[in-house]
Amino acid sequence: MAKRNPNISGNAYALTILAPIKNGYTEEQIAYADIVRCRLQDWNNQDYSPMTQVPQTYLCRYYVLDDVYTESLPGADPRSRWLDLLTALPFGGIGNKLRVGMLPKEDHLQSRYLVFSCNFHGGPEGDLDGYLRGMWQAISGQIKDIWGFCYGFEEVDNADKFIAYMKKCQLPAALFFVGSNDDPLPEQLKALYLKQEFANFAVANQGLDAAALRANFKAFIERVQPNDVNGPTWPAGKYTV
Amino acid sequence: MSNIAGKAYAMNVITPIKSYWAWINKLIFWAAIKFPGALTGLITLSLIHYARWVILKDSEFPHLAKEQPKEKLHYTYMLFFSNFNGSWDQYVDSFTFAIPGGLDLFWKWNIRYPKSVTLTPFHKYIRYNQIETIHYYSAYPLAAANDVKAAKQVKTALTQFHQDSQTLSDDEFMAGYKTLLRGLQHDLGDMYPTPIVTMAAYEVQERKYKHEREQAALAGGENG
Repeated sequence: MAKRNPNISGNAYALTILAPIKNGYTEEQIAYADIVRCRLQDWNNQDYSPMTQVPQTYLCRYYVLDDVYTESLPGADPRSRWLDLLTALPFGGIGNKLRVGMLPKEDHLQSRYLVFSCNFHGGPEGDLDGYLRGMWQAISGQIKDIWGFCYGFEEVDNADKFIAYMKKCQLPAALFFVGSNDDPLPEQLKALYLKQEFANFAVANQGLDAAALRANFKAFIERVQPNDVNGPTWPAGKYTV
Repeated sequence: MSNIAGKAYAMNVITPIKSYWAWINKLIFWAAIKFPGALTGLITLSLIHYARWVILKDSEFPHLAKEQPKEKLHYTYMLFFSNFNGSWDQYVDSFTFAIPGGLDLFWKWNIRYPKSVTLTPFHKYIRYNQIETIHYYSAYPLAAANDVKAAKQVKTALTQFHQDSQTLSDDEFMAGYKTLLRGLQHDLGDMYPTPIVTMAAYEVQERKYKHEREQAALAGGENG
């Protein structure tokens, strides 16, 4: 029996990428990780995210993981709750030393990571190669711009190398939850377009006699073409129909 | 920085967990996959598009080059990614009020997890361990997860009615149309942006205006 892919739920795929950013600085002493951050920030100022061009992308995000956090506030476990009482012990700072000694350990990452987390339609087999190929074909310029400061990206200059690189940076999901539907994105967008248009049609065509309503409905169907996903639709990433 | 794309909010949380407890957590996640009934609470909440948990220890951080220093960490780390509708408070509080047990089950082995009840320590825990998203993209920024599911119902019912109504008389058409609307009353509804709850939502509004102006210019061009 084939092993279950933890990144797949139905037809949806959870892609998690941690790409290590080089620990270096530009001539102006700006950390590479901060350049990556600035370039991603610039995407927010564009009218459309570059990701609108990447087929089958439902939702995705980018961020930079600078470091991990050290927990110091008390948790629900009795040990951490009662630890603060150690400061009440007599003999000066002994209690406090004990308390500090029992705090969780401090961890720090050796590199900063570019995190790319994406949910896309991959089909029941989870076509990751197809998705990444489509991503490279659509926005290879922006990919080079963002990933260019990452370890191991120097050799990436075509779709195959990009796919291989991304797989090296991929992490498996321990649990992937899908609360939406997992149809292909063009199907979802067409359905949302129909929902929006039909809601407006229903409001605008109240109180008509049967013949007039029927004529308007016929014209409506001809306009919206419900079975044609390539016809009128809600463009990806757009805030209006 | 933008945790918001239209109606969706991107939450990223990273929390430490001792390696031996990480195995317990993985086992709980495995059980949740095997017995999907365990996720009924999440489904009922109905405000999540997609969510995932990733657990990794230091040796599992991607290592791409010899010159890249290897990670050496005391703890294993749990990464949480969620795409949900509504504000941060609405989301976090809905877990606390609706499925506190399920939430605690997923996080209880994490170091210094305060439990989801009471609210304030839980809020502090999430805020402290949350990482801001720099760029967040949604293919359908005006749609909540419920809109995406409802749209499928609308499309199916609409195409079926169109197909079935070809041979009907006008009166039968009218009766069928009313039945269609009654059947879809929970699925219809215009999609609008949510009220502004953060400055990031202001940016969303600005982008919507830009798209509307662009649309109007396009329509003007077609008419003129």
